[in-house]
Amino acid sequence: MSQTDFLHLMPLLILTVAALVNMLVIAAWRNHKIIYVITAVSFVAAFLSLFELRGITAYAIDPLFVIDGFGVFYIGLILATALLISMLSYAYFEQREEQKEEYYILLILSTLGACTLVISTHFASLFLGLEVLSVALYSLISYLRTRERSDEAGIKYLILAAFSSAFLLFGMALVYFSVGTMTFAGIATAMSGLQELPLLLLTGFGMMIIGIGFKLSVVPFHMWTPDVYEGAPAPVTAFIATVSKAGVLGIMIRFFLEVDGFRYPTLITIFTIVAISSMIAGNLLALMQKNVKRILAYSSISHLGYLLVAFLAGNQMGVEAITFYLVAYFITTVGAFGVVAMLSDKERDAELLEDYRGLLWRRPWTATAFTAMLLSLAGIPLTAGFVGKFYILAAGVSTQLWLLVAMLVLNSVIGLYYYIKVIAVMFQQPETEAETPKKRLRPSIYLASVGTLVVLTLLLLIVGVYPAALVEIIQNVFATAPEMVAR
Amino acid sequence: MSVSTMEAALLLAGVLFMLGLISVLIRRNIIFMLISVEIMLNAAGLAFIVAGSKWVQPDGQVMFIFILTMAAAEVSVGLALILQIYHQLKTLDSDAANFMKG
Repeated sequence: MSQTDFLHLMPLLILTVAALVNMLVIAAWRNHKIIYVITAVSFVAAFLSLFELRGITAYAIDPLFVIDGFGVFYIGLILATALLISMLSYAYFEQREEQKEEYYILLILSTLGACTLVISTHFASLFLGLEVLSVALYSLISYLRTRERSDEAGIKYLILAAFSSAFLLFGMALVYFSVGTMTFAGIATAMSGLQELPLLLLTGFGMMIIGIGFKLSVVPFHMWTPDVYEGAPAPVTAFIATVSKAGVLGIMIRFFLEVDGFRYPTLITIFTIVAISSMIAGNLLALMQKNVKRILAYSSISHLGYLLVAFLAGNQMGVEAITFYLVAYFITTVGAFGVVAMLSDKERDAELLEDYRGLLWRRPWTATAFTAMLLSLAGIPLTAGFVGKFYILAAGVSTQLWLLVAMLVLNSVIGLYYYIKVIAVMFQQPETEAETPKKRLRPSIYLASVGTLVVLTLLLLIVGVYPAALVEIIQNVFATAPEMVAR
Repeated sequence: MSVSTMEAALLLAGVLFMLGLISVLIRRNIIFMLISVEIMLNAAGLAFIVAGSKWVQPDGQVMFIFILTMAAAEVSVGLALILQIYHQLKTLDSDAANFMKG
């Protein structure tokens, strides 16, 4: 590797070093605040190092990575989200007595895995990125080990993630067996002459879709989602819902555009069925939930269905729509779980609908922020979620995916119901006098969380009212990566 | 080796994978589920080695070493979790460790 290679991989190197430094510092002196500051600084440093790569066309580090506008934007998105989540984590973990410093090492490592994923152009780097992401996530999910449900959530995620990795790997092996190369470009060349997929290759792709589907938690591979969302600590849930899905979605878009998988009707049919069933099942099952984390879990399943609509559009507008929607969805999801984390006490997370009864009267500002997040998830105008959904609809209409577009609209209406239900609970007058507030930490501890929530709510409104700025950034990013949008 | 032996070897990997898949679905003991998942992962590793030797490239074996390393990391985390579950529930029945529903 040359020096320029290292410079281009700077964000990843910074994260690696930060994880090691954190480990050494913990060995020398265990202090939550110091580890937290190191983590936040390293995320900011990694983010800033991306500005060096601005306007890059495509720098290939053969055969494993390519750093292009798409990759840089997704890495930036992942790093910014991870930074916000670490901000929200401080107060959350400060009130729990357990060993809390290692959390940040794991957080950095899984962020590193997600960043590796989005710039991969080879099965080996895809696999490594995915596993660095997942193995760190297993421990993150069951991090609060005295809680009864965290182990259950951890082992469920572990078994199913390993199960899906096996599918992904076997699929990759079959593809390698048929085409004799593991680079995306090589596979694309080998497939360029094929009008129909041969059986072995089709099986390979099918198994890869199963593996990816599990990570993205789309129907019918969604069973783990509500349990893991419920059992994991709130900031970790936010991480699973955002960073890990961005990584997997990023690599899926890159791979599919590269091998031009949209030519094959079989694959399109599979994705269409998955998208429609995700939207319907996610929304209908969310209607029956009484647990806010589970509602958000099912809503994330349906949101992934919406994203697949834009993915199926398969043109430049579709990729832009996915990216825009991801930004909007991340702001909203991190905000929503941030509120859950803020309201949680030492024993358990504030996850039951009952915990939110009359929240508007007890904590008006938190309730307002949560209302804004829920409205954005539902796609109400003036929020980021509305613009994102509009963009996806436009992408779907531009390629005449009428069935998918109709399902999207129908499901948005169903979705509205359960978001409004949560909001209505918050607006109710509390029936009994609120019990004496439990012992809370010094207000200054909450400064980072409150600040983050304010920033997120403002971003939500800014993106919702004036989306042109973000759209322009995204369009510029993809304009500098011509081979991504060859179609 | 001729192509037909390659396909036979790939078939073996496929059979192993299916065995692991079936047993992870029907087993109720968490340790056995973990073992079954390992069988699936190793079947995928075997498929990579077969594919590598078909194209006379080292890539397949490189991937196998990656898979081995990842499986080891996964098992260590998994066993730690299983110990925790055993401490809390005094059983390894996966149905007993299923409180979250709906």
